[in-house]
Amino acid sequence: MAAVYKSLSKSDKTASKKADGPSNGIKKNRQRVLILSSRGVTYRHRHLLNDLATMLPHGRKDAKFDSKSKLYELNELSELYNCNNCLYLEGRKGLDGYLFLSAVPNGPTCKFHIQNLHTMEELHFTGNCLKGSRPILSFDATFEKEPHLQVIKALFTRTFGVPEGARKSKPFIDHVMGFTVADGKIWIRNYQINEEEQSKVKNAAGEEEIETTEMSLVEIGPRFVLTPIVIQEGSFGGPIIYQNREFVSPNQVRSDLRRGKATRHNARAEQTVARLSRKEDLGLRTKGAQRQPKGDLDTKMMFS
Amino acid sequence: MAKSKLKMALAADKGTDFKKLKEKRQKKAALKRKQAEEGPQDSDDHSGAEDAEVAQISDESDEDEEYEDAEEQINLHGIDESDSSGSEVEMEERLPRKPKTILKPLNAAKPIARPGKAEDADSDEDEDEEDEEDIPISDLEDLDEDEKEDLIPHTRLTINNTSALLTSLNRIALPTDKSVPFATHQVVVSAEATADSIPDIQDDLQRELAFYSQSLAAVREARTKLRAEKVPFSRPKDYFAEMIKEDAHMEKIKAKLVEEATNKKAAAEARKMRDLKKFGKQVQVAKLQERQKVKRETLDKIKNLKRKRSESGNDMGTKEADIFDVGVDKELSKNSTGRSDRAGAGRGSKPNTKRQKKDEKYGFGGKKRHAKSGDFASSSDLSGFSAKAMKAKGGVSKSRPGKSKRKAMSTR
Repeated sequence: MAAVYKSLSKSDKTASKKADGPSNGIKKNRQRVLILSSRGVTYRHRHLLNDLATMLPHGRKDAKFDSKSKLYELNELSELYNCNNCLYLEGRKGLDGYLFLSAVPNGPTCKFHIQNLHTMEELHFTGNCLKGSRPILSFDATFEKEPHLQVIKALFTRTFGVPEGARKSKPFIDHVMGFTVADGKIWIRNYQINEEEQSKVKNAAGEEEIETTEMSLVEIGPRFVLTPIVIQEGSFGGPIIYQNREFVSPNQVRSDLRRGKATRHNARAEQTVARLSRKEDLGLRTKGAQRQPKGDLDTKMMFS
Repeated sequence: MAKSKLKMALAADKGTDFKKLKEKRQKKAALKRKQAEEGPQDSDDHSGAEDAEVAQISDESDEDEEYEDAEEQINLHGIDESDSSGSEVEMEERLPRKPKTILKPLNAAKPIARPGKAEDADSDEDEDEEDEEDIPISDLEDLDEDEKEDLIPHTRLTINNTSALLTSLNRIALPTDKSVPFATHQVVVSAEATADSIPDIQDDLQRELAFYSQSLAAVREARTKLRAEKVPFSRPKDYFAEMIKEDAHMEKIKAKLVEEATNKKAAAEARKMRDLKKFGKQVQVAKLQERQKVKRETLDKIKNLKRKRSESGNDMGTKEADIFDVGVDKELSKNSTGRSDRAGAGRGSKPNTKRQKKDEKYGFGGKKRHAKSGDFASSSDLSGFSAKAMKAKGGVSKSRPGKSKRKAMSTR
């Protein structure tokens, strides 16, 4: 009996789908995201990936990727998992995190530097939402102003936007992801939508109902800031079509700091040399830039 | 000269004819000279401000033309090597202009993006512009040392390939316009740039507030759209499902909140206590100071009196001390009010009779113990003893009647 019901309902569904497809004239939005990291990420990066994986029901989490040089292998890997997006987090030096967002078969890849990373667990925010509910994606107006930001926005919508009718998605909408461009960086926040009790008020005509709802947001987490570095035309390869000149690599920052500290030592060393040369000039230890020869009255000769 | 070659190549690409250009320039120069001659006459008619403007404009155009001329000159040298020495002098004169042409692209704004339009012809132009703007440092090596100092070299070329970006955008972008229902994408783009409402990016509160308001506006917009499309928005109360943060995590958060609240409360209480303590101490200090002050005043008075006495009555001799003491007492009783209140009350007016009786009965002040036990003084005190009275007849005086009689008297 159950089999019969199943088959019937299946046929119904397929029929309705077929009916839907041509009428809309738009193919269905199917997105799948492969979520993985490289080896050598810190625990924070790992936790961030876990958080993102819980937020993305259309995501597929995979084991750590072994190679850092052969990133093109990620294309095959995502095709293996039927994913058309890839979110790859690379850890370098056990410090820096670089996030790659790619539209896999031949779309562009964007590389970001992750900063100010706080995972859901360490933030202690009171917000919470359904696992796998579809978020509202709130973009800043700046995203529409420059082509590279438009590309980034498209990548974000593909990866972070849960497609309609995704496998594990929930039917209600209770959180919003905010993407803001400020200071040349992209700030990402995740809020729960908190609706207060609805109060239905009847209009004077008595027909229309005006619903006044108090909305507020409670942050859920995680929080992080992305600095776009490079956009490549291919997926994990291809020519560079955008490069951020304002980006300063963290290695550069660290080396500058170290160099700044080193100048102190250098100054001291110079002082020592200068002092020695001054003493020589006084002729206390030398005579005309040469050591004085040992005479009979030298201390060592007298008391040897 | 690598740069001139590059320029030449570019010029060849564009198909510019240098001779024609030169002719044009000469014509322009001639025109300008004419204008300059006419200029003074005009200046009498126009107002001062306008004059200044005109002058500025002409200056700028002059400069531009000159530097373009310079380029041309250099380019021409690149073509025919057999140029005379006279032109070299010219070149030297004009060389100082050259850094300006190189610095300009640094200051120049980035090519403005045209969102939503992927025009091939446009993009070609863009690329050309970029080529002109960015001059690799290798091309600048033929400059003099002192000129090099003035430049700010940039090693990295700007890569912002607008056309490629737009084509790849078209390839991957999901439709978010009005042709598709909002529920398919749920993307909201704010009307205003949020960065404008953040005065200081380092100020956490303002920054987060801006993000929050951006998201809230987006939610409001999305909610109306979704409701219009009849998409369920808010979760019903009886819909339970797995949450993003599991119960253990929420429990942890709650514990953290409670701990924070208790900590805050404890801190507030501690502060209150500290304040009280501080205040109590202040009161104590004030009291002590008051006492000190009174003491000092009395001592001063005594000193004053002493001095007065010693001044006025040197001849009093032996009696001086007595008189002095009496005088001090008077003075003290006259002036001191609060301090000697109790003592004065004790001495001057008697306490009420009930108190007196009680004091008699239970004692008041001093040591209570051994008050009734005999000591040296009491045993050696024989004032109440007399042999005569002992030997008196009857022993007991007749004045006291017997007990029964006394009782009868009292009852009566």
